[in-house]
Amino acid sequence: MFTAEVFANVFEPLTLLYLVVGVAAGIGIGCLPGLTATMGVALVLPLTFGMEAIPGILLLLGVYVGAIYGGSVSAILIRTPGTPAAAATVLDGYEFAKRGEAGRALGISTLSSFVGGMISCVILAIMAPWLARIALKFSSPEFFLLAVFGLCVIASISGASLAKGLLCGALGMILACVGIDGITAHMRYTYGNINLLSGINYIPVMIGLFAMSQAFEGVEDIFKRNAVTGAIPSVLPRRSDLLVMARVAPLCGLAGTAIGIIPGAGADIAAFVAYGQTKNLSKRPELFGTGIPEGVAAPESANNGVTGGALIPMLTLGVPGDAVAAIMIGALTVQGLQPGPLLFRNHPALINSVFMGMFLANIVMCLMGFFCIRAFVKVLSIPKAILTPAIFMLCVVGSYAMANNFFDVWTMLVFGIVGYFLNKIDIIASPAVLGLILGPMAESHFRRALLMGRGSYGVFFSTPLTWIFWGLIAFSLFLPFWQRRKGGSAGRK
Amino acid sequence: MKRIGCALALAAALVLAAGWAPSLDYPRSPVSIIVPYGAGGGTDLIGRALADTVKGSFPRGIAVENRLGGGGSVGMSYGQNARPDGNIITNITVELVTLPHTGTGGDISHEKFIPLIMFNSTYSAVTVQKSSPHNTLKDLLTAAKTDPIQVGNSGIGAIWHLAAASLEQAAGVEFIHVPFDGAAPAITSLLGGHIDAVTVSYAEVVSQVDAGELKVLAVLAPQRLPVAPDIPTATELGYNVSVGSWRGFGVPLNTPPEIVAWLEKTFTDGVNSPGFVKFMKDTKNDIELLSSAEYAKRLARDYEMFGKLINDLGLSK
Repeated sequence: MFTAEVFANVFEPLTLLYLVVGVAAGIGIGCLPGLTATMGVALVLPLTFGMEAIPGILLLLGVYVGAIYGGSVSAILIRTPGTPAAAATVLDGYEFAKRGEAGRALGISTLSSFVGGMISCVILAIMAPWLARIALKFSSPEFFLLAVFGLCVIASISGASLAKGLLCGALGMILACVGIDGITAHMRYTYGNINLLSGINYIPVMIGLFAMSQAFEGVEDIFKRNAVTGAIPSVLPRRSDLLVMARVAPLCGLAGTAIGIIPGAGADIAAFVAYGQTKNLSKRPELFGTGIPEGVAAPESANNGVTGGALIPMLTLGVPGDAVAAIMIGALTVQGLQPGPLLFRNHPALINSVFMGMFLANIVMCLMGFFCIRAFVKVLSIPKAILTPAIFMLCVVGSYAMANNFFDVWTMLVFGIVGYFLNKIDIIASPAVLGLILGPMAESHFRRALLMGRGSYGVFFSTPLTWIFWGLIAFSLFLPFWQRRKGGSAGRK
Repeated sequence: MKRIGCALALAAALVLAAGWAPSLDYPRSPVSIIVPYGAGGGTDLIGRALADTVKGSFPRGIAVENRLGGGGSVGMSYGQNARPDGNIITNITVELVTLPHTGTGGDISHEKFIPLIMFNSTYSAVTVQKSSPHNTLKDLLTAAKTDPIQVGNSGIGAIWHLAAASLEQAAGVEFIHVPFDGAAPAITSLLGGHIDAVTVSYAEVVSQVDAGELKVLAVLAPQRLPVAPDIPTATELGYNVSVGSWRGFGVPLNTPPEIVAWLEKTFTDGVNSPGFVKFMKDTKNDIELLSSAEYAKRLARDYEMFGKLINDLGLSK
């Protein structure tokens, strides 16, 4: 499989340089709120037009892998998920930083991302053509059930009060109703404003709820001395953390890869699902959200697991697994290469170079991550009087840069204020983001499924895949109750 | 080879710029091309490729700026309301003449633009799975008289929904229209056998056709497509339907005519440059070049045509 030609392709010095630059750029882009992995790859794309196919595609893969990882850095350090993929990492990651253990959390995130990424690469390299056909089995009923399965995670990320979490999730889903309805073109809550036609974008909402609200809070104690210092004993994970990761990361990496294969489901959903299910299966679910290693390892291994998974339907079928893969199809087409079955048949060396490039990108990401942790943590020793305004600025620039539309900045500010007050009354904002991401997916697929099934609810039970999802939904809803009962009888608080 | 092509194009553009620049005090500042859709998409890629081809004529730079939202209306509205000095050029698309009829276009109007050139067109291709029992357009439409045929499109009221609907009208049948969030998920659904056909553009299905997964029964185009001379048009088969999408550049009304003329000439040369021609060929896009005057007529004609169609479908505001 990895022939001499493939080695020669990938280990060409210039190609390697592009890969390393890609990963570095990706981590940088991922750290910045508003600049998502999709945006990063799209920004770098025009640079590849003048390049040969392999260096060009490896540069893009580097950015992709780096950006999905990079989102966790700002999530852990300043409670700002750099990309939607890191929204779940905030829950436990920032708790580490509050305790002054940001370095430990970053180490866990780096190694887990690496494990998740490597697992997805292995699956990509050995099983891609077989798994690709499964991707095509997904139709609207399955997508709807996947969205419902994702929404079940609200139960796991609500913190102390399930009622507050559900309320918050419902708020997200109500916000998701805004815009032109995709099945009948009815305009909902748009008030004649063209900026609302395509709905409320979840990225400025996310930046507002997490980052801006945190910055508002930062203003309250802007002249206080920093409680946490930048000093960290070691960047390498300790033994107990390694044991936790060994348990959690491979499984979540696999789950991430599986979700990545499904066209239209990406790293954000994977991270939330992994977090929720790891909590469900954990022996200490009550500690999630207080800064425990599995709370970082689960979402981070899952979101990087998506990277290899998303490439599977793209390379084998020419079908985008997520938004980034869609752009990569464009990149390959510009090179005169059509992703799909023909690519496998006619360009095996290119395909294998892509596989090897993915492995290398993950290794580079891991090394670079560990190398930079000390530098990343220095961010926390910046005085609040400088850091807080800088976060303000990043929030504004990030939400504007995404679509070059100033409306998004107002959206971000409004949700920054909402998030500030949610913090004050101890409501965790994550369910709202989940509702906003999954609400439109659930709604459009529910209605499309009924349209295709001519109004019969039987479509939701019509295929083996739908039954698997019903099983998963039942499992994730009832397991916590069962555990609580078991835990209660064992005398747990 | 590619580099040589680019270098030649650049050289050609520079020579042209040198020949034209003295007569006109433009471009004095950086010029932006507003793309109303996301970076990395089809419209964006072609816009960037064309901008790259003509960058030698813009000494202060020419950059692509993606302004998203409202299915294209946010970016086009920004472009039409910009100062008419030629520094903001808008990549206009067929949505400019469809969205106003569905009431989702905000204030956008083709009458607020001076079209510079049209450089690309693509037409609806009636596409089914390779294994489908329907081998001709007639097969499919006959089947639609008795069986429910599910036809996927790229969104309700979007151009490829209008294509399926006008075919329905011409053939006197009814489809079940299944709207997706863009063309790619519709094609994926067809590949999985969950729907019977799609009516998205030929450019969007061509890779799956080449791979032997899908087959095109007919294109809804005025003539056979240069990239697919073997595929019949619906008109040849007795259904007088032609629905396509196009891409071009426009500047706000009241832009000085000498700037319009300079831009038209510059971009026309860009479209004809070997680098751009190769890019379009590689990405399986057709070049259809219309001058400013021809494009203005096309805009008015399409505006009328889509107005009638959208009204007939009951989708108008």
